[in-house]
Amino acid sequence: MSGTREAKLSLAHKVPPPTGAYRWVYLWEWPIRIMHWLAVAGILTLVVTGLYIGRPYFMTGGEASSHFLMGRVRFAHFTAAAVLVMTGIVRGYWLFMGNRYERLRALFPLRRRDWVNLVRMVKFYLMIRPERAPHYLGHNPLQQLSYTALYAITGVMVLSGFALYGQSDPGGFIYSATNWIGPLLGGMPNVRFVHHALTWAFLIFVPIHVYLAIRADHLERTGVISSIVSGGRFVPVDHHFVDE
Amino acid sequence: MSLPSLEAWAAEETLGQRLQSKGVSRREFLEFCGKLGIVLGLGSAAGPRLAQALQALKRPSVIWIQLQECTGCVESVLRSAEPTIGNLLLEMVSLDYSHTLMAAAGHHAEAALQQAMKANQGKYILVVTGSVPLADGGIYTTIGGRTAKAVLEEAAEGAAAIVAVGACAHWGSVQAARPNPTGAVGVAEVIKDKPVINVTGCPPIGDVVTATLAHFLTFGALPATDSDGRPLFAYGKRIHDQCPRRAHFDAGQYVEVFDDENARKGWCLYHVGCKGPATFSPCPIFQWNGGTSWPIGAGHPCIGCTERNFWDTMTPFYDRLPDVGGFGVERTVDILGAALAIGAAAGVTAHAVATGIHQVRERRKLPVLPPDAGKE
Ligand code: SF4
Repeated sequence: MSGTREAKLSLAHKVPPPTGAYRWVYLWEWPIRIMHWLAVAGILTLVVTGLYIGRPYFMTGGEASSHFLMGRVRFAHFTAAAVLVMTGIVRGYWLFMGNRYERLRALFPLRRRDWVNLVRMVKFYLMIRPERAPHYLGHNPLQQLSYTALYAITGVMVLSGFALYGQSDPGGFIYSATNWIGPLLGGMPNVRFVHHALTWAFLIFVPIHVYLAIRADHLERTGVISSIVSGGRFVPVDHHFVDE
Repeated sequence: MSLPSLEAWAAEETLGQRLQSKGVSRREFLEFCGKLGIVLGLGSAAGPRLAQALQALKRPSVIWIQLQECTGCVESVLRSAEPTIGNLLLEMVSLDYSHTLMAAAGHHAEAALQQAMKANQGKYILVVTGSVPLADGGIYTTIGGRTAKAVLEEAAEGAAAIVAVGACAHWGSVQAARPNPTGAVGVAEVIKDKPVINVTGCPPIGDVVTATLAHFLTFGALPATDSDGRPLFAYGKRIHDQCPRRAHFDAGQYVEVFDDENARKGWCLYHVGCKGPATFSPCPIFQWNGGTSWPIGAGHPCIGCTERNFWDTMTPFYDRLPDVGGFGVERTVDILGAALAIGAAAGVTAHAVATGIHQVRERRKLPVLPPDAGKE
């Protein structure tokens, strides 16, 4: 199939089978990859245990002394939270130490060009003129917005979570560091509400994220999914990318 | 034991002498001081020190004003079938003004208030129950023709310490719940130039009120407080962390509906809306009515009455999450969240199918090329 091989994603064009004319670009350095998968484990654990803590959907029988179900679930929740916070700290550090695809700048669509491309990306997903979609090596503007929003939601989750957790030890460090949050939201029950409601943001994000990754991998055939394992993807040598 | 005494003290009489003349034995008094030390978190060893300080007191004056409230707090402080710290302490102070308890009424009562304030200027402890309505010039509570705000400001002027008793005096309580038609606020929002300690609750436990007073009488200072002005000796821990049903919470054993088998077994009330995990109060330890029982002990979930704004934030009382916005959001949010999550899953499936269809269609639109056109 002839025609231009520019930075265009097209639903119509069959991507040629891999030939020698491919190159490998390194995008995600090892800290990012490891943090991604740790965050996956953390978030999955947090959602499952969090839903149980919010509304214990099964119970134990017999003597209380022979069970510790909620205790263990809470322990798992707090451990997973600690892991997630750790990934957040490393990610934060890597905003300054990482490569151009990982840096602070890469979180926001700042330039005019990015906003134009944002609209094109939306059209691509809505299958309106998909062939005009911009092609990014790193995250496209739509990804930037949604991932940055997820970071923000995670931040709110972490803060509200610590505010709730800190109540068990008033006078402790966590309590004193987070006791402004309750009054800010008008009381701890509201903090609990926010923490509970935002859980759904993750349950909505995850299927969409996984689907779009699979879809991109399928359409582009450049090993997008593999890039979060190996760190890079194969792209045709003659493709030009917006963010290269 | 008699009710709090409104009899005047002789001018130079000390508390020790007075108790003796009223027939309180030294043993009883020491026992009381030991208990007080424990309540205040000082240990029973502090008893002798407390006894010494209290004994030497001369006519400690307490003025108790009641604003926009229901008198429940006074009832709570007075409740007791036997001598307790509560009425022993009230016996010890000269309760110079309390319109629920005093015999005088009307102008005589108001005159007594004026006289007590003048006589003890700068020395009396001011206890306040009830909120201060500020809307429409404060007309929603007037005493003797004056607004609650004016009464409070005047009384606070000469007070050595101010103890706000009850949720109303703390932040306004039920009358301050949305939409707060009378503009009710707590004492600390009106009196800004003096420390106000909040012995909160709806009502608070009587022993906490009297122990706070005793602390001031003994040490000349109010006890240490948390960030919301509540004395730490009483409000330093969550109910959830002192609760006798906590083992059931940790084990995963919950009452699902009132009166089910689990309720009979005394399991945790988390599922039926217990607010113990967000409520700082000494209820499980001090208990109520002379240690008879307390809400969770009696099988009712905690409603969080010692926390600011609890009528708005802790409701519905029998559900886990607050009713933000007032139309049952707490249940709606789970339904909505689940719907969106399922919608997202369904959406991506539909999108995947659409992508496939689109792809096939677009490909069909391509010009038919000779068989070897694709090869280069
Ligand atoms: S009854 Fe309430 S305070 Fe007690 S353990 Fe259960 S949730 Fe906590």
